[in-house]
Amino acid sequence: MPEVYIDGERYEFEGKPKLLQFILDQGLEVPYFCYHPSMSIPANCRQCMVKVGQPVRDRETGEFELDENGDRVIRWFPKLQTSCSIDVTDGMVVKTQESDELVRRAQKDNLEFILINHPLDCPICDQAGECPLQIQTYKYGPEGSRFEVKKVHKPKRVQLGPRVVLDAERCINCTRCTRFVDEVSKTHQLTITKRGDSNYPITAPGETFDDPYSLNTVDLCPVGALTSADFRFRARVWEMNQTPSIDITNGKGCNIDLWTRDNLVLRITPRHNPHVNDWWMPDKGREANRLFNENRISRPSVKIDGESQVKSSWNNAIETFVEHIESVKPEEILLIGSPHASVEENYLLTKLGNLMGWGTPHFTPHLNEGSGDGFLITDDQAPNTQGIRLLGLSENDNDQLAKRISDSGISCVIILNDALIDRNVLTEDLFDDTCLIYFGTNENKTSQSADLVFPITCVAEHAASYVNVDGRIQRSFPAKETKYSNRRLNLEMSEGRLDRYGTKFDNWVTEDNKVDCLPAWDLFALIGMRMGLDIEYEMGGREVMDEIGRKVPSFEGVSYEQMDDESGIALNIDSKKVKSKN
Amino acid sequence: MEYRFDKEELDQIEKIKARYPEVRPATLPVLWIAQNKFGHVGPKVQKLVAKTLDLPEAHIHGVAEFYTQYYKEEKGKFVLDVCTCLSCQVCGGYDILHYLEEKLGIETGETTEDGMFTIQQVECLGACGYAPMMQITNGVYVNHLTREKVDEVIEGLKNGKLPQFESKEMRKVNPQDR
Ligand code: SF4
Ligand code: FES
Ligand code: FES
Repeated sequence: MPEVYIDGERYEFEGKPKLLQFILDQGLEVPYFCYHPSMSIPANCRQCMVKVGQPVRDRETGEFELDENGDRVIRWFPKLQTSCSIDVTDGMVVKTQESDELVRRAQKDNLEFILINHPLDCPICDQAGECPLQIQTYKYGPEGSRFEVKKVHKPKRVQLGPRVVLDAERCINCTRCTRFVDEVSKTHQLTITKRGDSNYPITAPGETFDDPYSLNTVDLCPVGALTSADFRFRARVWEMNQTPSIDITNGKGCNIDLWTRDNLVLRITPRHNPHVNDWWMPDKGREANRLFNENRISRPSVKIDGESQVKSSWNNAIETFVEHIESVKPEEILLIGSPHASVEENYLLTKLGNLMGWGTPHFTPHLNEGSGDGFLITDDQAPNTQGIRLLGLSENDNDQLAKRISDSGISCVIILNDALIDRNVLTEDLFDDTCLIYFGTNENKTSQSADLVFPITCVAEHAASYVNVDGRIQRSFPAKETKYSNRRLNLEMSEGRLDRYGTKFDNWVTEDNKVDCLPAWDLFALIGMRMGLDIEYEMGGREVMDEIGRKVPSFEGVSYEQMDDESGIALNIDSKKVKSKN
Repeated sequence: MEYRFDKEELDQIEKIKARYPEVRPATLPVLWIAQNKFGHVGPKVQKLVAKTLDLPEAHIHGVAEFYTQYYKEEKGKFVLDVCTCLSCQVCGGYDILHYLEEKLGIETGETTEDGMFTIQQVECLGACGYAPMMQITNGVYVNHLTREKVDEVIEGLKNGKLPQFESKEMRKVNPQDR
């Protein structure tokens, strides 16, 4: 196998890796800015310099030439090389900043150059704390600058588009943003304008950077030049928790991170998954934080006198549920599952229906024909349509569902988190004489038309699984506490500095952002208990998934462990049984 | 004003495109056609070029902004690029610049009211041997400038007389070929 020596260590390699990527893959480090594994390599920042040589062979014998100590004679490249752009070759000898003074010096001087006109405004910069320029300057940069003349000034607070703000002075012109719009999102909306020390990225005059993937450039930007109009100045990154999750705003199931502080989701960023979304996500998915924070259903409510809803205790709500159920025959009850709810929640609804003789839940997919782009935006507006098809819920089109309620003697409808009235599948007047029980996360017309509303946890508050349009099952982690959960006790939750060191009496930690809601499994267990059923899952979603893995053939053997190890599992979707819609 | 290419220019652009395996390299020559016709390649002209070549507007903008020779706004009929880089500076480049400003009653970067002259300050134009010097509208170099020579050139330009390239005695053979 071909070999390469890096700082005196021997490594074997396969194929034709680039040197920088190979070094990073070994868990070693060379500082860099412009290189990105999923885009072209311009080698323009010059930060990734290393010293590279090749052993000398005797032309006649083909043997390595050896020096007096018996070591291979190395012929070094006359100049340092950018490791991002050079191929690893057999026998190559590499010296990084770890073992070579010249390399250290080159990297340090390069940083001094990059920083000549950089404003060094880290204390007020959003990128601080997660800024490659800041980190690498600390590690490899000079202590000060010899350029003590006035800095070049450039435009600040340029609203490039509805979601992205530019501070041109901070830009180091790595061209990651322009390469992204040229190579990944392909809208070609950005270019580098001017040259020399006055250049920076910009749109064509009069154009706006409204690329549906524009916020990825904010993640890509190795400095604070591009920032998110929404997240700007809302939190320092080190005050937040980062929790892995799944995008629930469409059917692709982009892997994401939820960033929370004091139990508010402040921003959403993509998480690398080569099987699904690579490093990217659509801007739309980042707006989901508002769904998690705002307009949440907190505490159950019951409708009194058929008029207005009032908040109620959990016990009273469960009693009311039982009253409603007992006043009708089992076959008069219609269960509606939801492509917006997880596999676990829909499974439990199905299980409850079977045990109580209410029949299999129905559902209707949430499609927006023609909105998909063949990349990460799908026609499917829900995260789990495939999941509930695989669970065997009964699929309806929109009209069928309404008809089923009006025509077949239904007097009580139980809906699991799907805003069916808001999305014009059902109408309010269907429920004039029919009782509606809603298990949901957010207030909407549907919840407001209900006779009984139970608040349940959203994807940001529970661990649960979703099957994307391609049949890949992936899961979330709880990121936000509810009134009944606690990050110190729930080991799946991450704990940031403020959580660990803040107390109730600090003004940055409040109770206000904890929603009074329960995971569906806990709620169904309480309801079950009241009706004499034992459907308790002490381990929550994890245990529910284990049961699904045992009982539902399509999910055979699926477990949280495997999902975590393999960043999701591709389920075997039988294309005949399940029509896959992109 | 609406900017358009006429039939003849469009034919010329087609010929330019045919010279290259892809469209992008045609950007520079087509920007020249536009500048020669409209006197500048401002935002609207950039849009026209982008549309004509079916290339992203941002790309055309980036190219136009990169080169100072493309004018991104309307300029005077004659653009006087006065060199104030090292060699010209020590030989009185700034004196010439300030004299011009005074004479035309405008500051560097401005255009005279009659639309005749724009003064620009530029870096080395590679004619250090004949410093101080200026260039007229991306073309003729006027060398060894003095106040008198400036007066003469301006007078000439006002009468539509562009000075000739002052050809210097050049080596006929490149040193490496000797
Ligand atoms: S704005 Fe950021 S990503 Fe774009 S070129 Fe500048 S430093 Fe690079
Ligand atoms: S990462 Fe190699 S030159 Fe920028
Ligand atoms: S310094 Fe003026 S031409 Fe070189």
